[in-house]
Amino acid sequence: MTAPARRQETGREAKETRETRETREAKETREETQETRETREATVREAKEAKEAKEAKEAKAAKKAKEAKEATVRDAARSASRHSLAALLALARFEARGLLLRLPVVLALAGYTAWIVWRTLQPWDDYPVLQDADRATQGGPLFVGLAALLCANQAVLRSRRHDTERHLGVLVLPRAHRTAAHALSVVPLALLTAAGVAAQFTWEALKPGALGRGSAAELLTGPLVVLLFGAIGVLLARLVPSAVAAPLLVVVSFLLFVGAGFPFTGETGAVWTAPLAAGAGTHSYPSGLLGRPAGWHDLYLAGLTLTAVLLAVLLSGTRARTVRAALAAALTLTVLGGVVQTGGVPAVTTAARLRASLTPEKDQTCVRRGTATYCAFPEWTPRVGDWARTVERVQSLTGGTAHGRPLLVRQRLDARRGLLDDAALAPSRHPRQVTVGTAWGGNRVPEFSTAVAAVLVAGDEKTASELCDGRMVTVMWLSLAWQTDPESALRHVRLDDSLTGSAIVLSPTEPLRMTAGQTEVVRALLHKPVTGVAVRVKAHWAELTSPKITTARAAELLGVPAEVGADRCAQ
Amino acid sequence: MRAVIPALVVPVWRTLPWRTLGAAGAAGLLTTGLPRLFGSAPGAWFALGQLRAAALAFALGLAFLLDDPARHGTAPVPTGRGVRIALRVALVAPVAALWWTAALLLVPGPDRPPAGDVTLEAGTACALALAAATLAVRRTDDPYPGRPAATALLVTGVLAPLLVPDRWALFVAPQDPRWAAAHERWAWLLAGAAAVWVLSLGEPPRRRSARPRPGPHGS
Repeated sequence: MTAPARRQETGREAKETRETRETREAKETREETQETRETREATVREAKEAKEAKEAKEAKAAKKAKEAKEATVRDAARSASRHSLAALLALARFEARGLLLRLPVVLALAGYTAWIVWRTLQPWDDYPVLQDADRATQGGPLFVGLAALLCANQAVLRSRRHDTERHLGVLVLPRAHRTAAHALSVVPLALLTAAGVAAQFTWEALKPGALGRGSAAELLTGPLVVLLFGAIGVLLARLVPSAVAAPLLVVVSFLLFVGAGFPFTGETGAVWTAPLAAGAGTHSYPSGLLGRPAGWHDLYLAGLTLTAVLLAVLLSGTRARTVRAALAAALTLTVLGGVVQTGGVPAVTTAARLRASLTPEKDQTCVRRGTATYCAFPEWTPRVGDWARTVERVQSLTGGTAHGRPLLVRQRLDARRGLLDDAALAPSRHPRQVTVGTAWGGNRVPEFSTAVAAVLVAGDEKTASELCDGRMVTVMWLSLAWQTDPESALRHVRLDDSLTGSAIVLSPTEPLRMTAGQTEVVRALLHKPVTGVAVRVKAHWAELTSPKITTARAAELLGVPAEVGADRCAQ
Repeated sequence: MRAVIPALVVPVWRTLPWRTLGAAGAAGLLTTGLPRLFGSAPGAWFALGQLRAAALAFALGLAFLLDDPARHGTAPVPTGRGVRIALRVALVAPVAALWWTAALLLVPGPDRPPAGDVTLEAGTACALALAAATLAVRRTDDPYPGRPAATALLVTGVLAPLLVPDRWALFVAPQDPRWAAAHERWAWLLAGAAAVWVLSLGEPPRRRSARPRPGPHGS
């Protein structure tokens, strides 16, 4: 073998050997790897099982711990919320006391009390109609509300003014709760207002001349207005933290709601979006004809108040979902109340108004007193006694057939053009029928007395409204002679409150006219003793009630030396 | 002193409460412009009420004119308080005059009450506001005398029409026979307010025991 061949052989062997070794090694390694893998897998499985077991154990422990922790948190939260609520109420009490002692609020409450007393003691308010008296309680609380707006706003801004916001920030009560406490602090003021409203209405209802039926919803409006203005004050402080904002809002509100600057007027529609939709008309009406959506208005006011408060709480930095949900609910209430209240007069009420205006006899109750029959809407039947006294006194001064002539006194109203309409009633053409309105007391008494006298002299109201002769002297003397202060009654029954010259004389329907001469004769008659004049009236009754009589002749018959010219009435 | 005042003009101009005055002016213009906004004629009596409300609104803004966060810092400066307050008033006066002209022009011509007399009323309201604020500066250590002054002015403005007896009637309508007499009373009131303002301008000769009040800059 040559050396190269040997080298080649050796090389091959070496190669084989290497290959064999490599293969063996690889095989061994593979076997080993297999084993190792198995072992590892077993280890991993064990470890996994152990881990799982451990995890399960841990999870169980953790769950237990978590449950315990949750329970603790729940308890803590419950306790914290209880404490927080207690703190909120304590702050609200403190702020309420501060609010009630602020000078503007004290002045507003003093003014409100004085207004109630002054208003209720007025002589024209001796015969209140309770469905109007309930609405009359709403004006006063507006002033208290404006004071609440100003002072609640200043109370919220106090911490900013004194730079104590950062101190309060580290205390237990969050800003939102403080806002809520400020809103709650207005509640005692609203309760005081409610007491004022209740006192005013009770006083009216206890008057001997009171009649009709009040509405709780109308009475609730006043206190709700106070709450609303207080809530707006709180909201304004959170919206515009400036001391000038509230006084400016008070000025604008004053102009809008007190100074008649509100752009909407009338009985229905957008006028109800104002806090007070009092709409005080000239006349009173039976409660069935009012058709005022007072309950819906209260809902609207309450919704508006809640919306303002919740908005202020949200603006104070809370993110609570309940507050947002409550705000949505409050907005819904406001919109619901707002939409329904502006809906107009219900069809049933319109039909009732039409019936009461055109055919009042269908609704009325009639009572007979002496020679006269009195037909009135059911709520007014307690007033028949007052009317009867007036009729009897006038009739007692008359002579001839008028003395025992049967009269029909019918209550009339005209609600066809709404309740704010102040047009005078058309005079009745029915013979011996006298119209009486819904109001009584004050000037209404001599006005009714004049109507009775005019019908007794002239026969019916239509003829009486056209009187322009000597009969007017008899009418006015009959109307006034029996009264305690006839001359003052004459002044009040005349439109211009005069005692000389010609004038318009008011009556429940169209007015009558007095010339200067008639005024002079009537005044002279009123200065003479009633009984003396009554004898002459009865003696000359036929001539005094004749359409041909002049004022001069009437003066002569009644024994008054007066020089009066011919009767001329201004048309 | 003559050299100091021009130097003071710009810093005092900057420290004036322009936002408050702007809000008050805007509220005032809103009250006079409301009927125009709704396209209705206000009527003479209501137009007068609007102008009075506008004047009250602007006067409420003026009550905040002397609010000065740096009050305690400026107390020892050589320029007296009277000069600084007078400078503030002088700086705001042309703005007030411009604003009042705009408010008067917003009211439709036929309904506008006699301009001179109603300007006297507005001037009196502003003078009362300034007198109240100056008095509050003199009597207290509060760097913000505007709030109590504005509250006092507002309460007076709301209660006066209700409580002033007929003998001293101030709030009358233009066609009322008492109009002239009422404006004589307004003039007296203006003179009184101006006198109170001038008398309260200076620093009191001896400082009364200062009541510490919490404030952003301490007292």
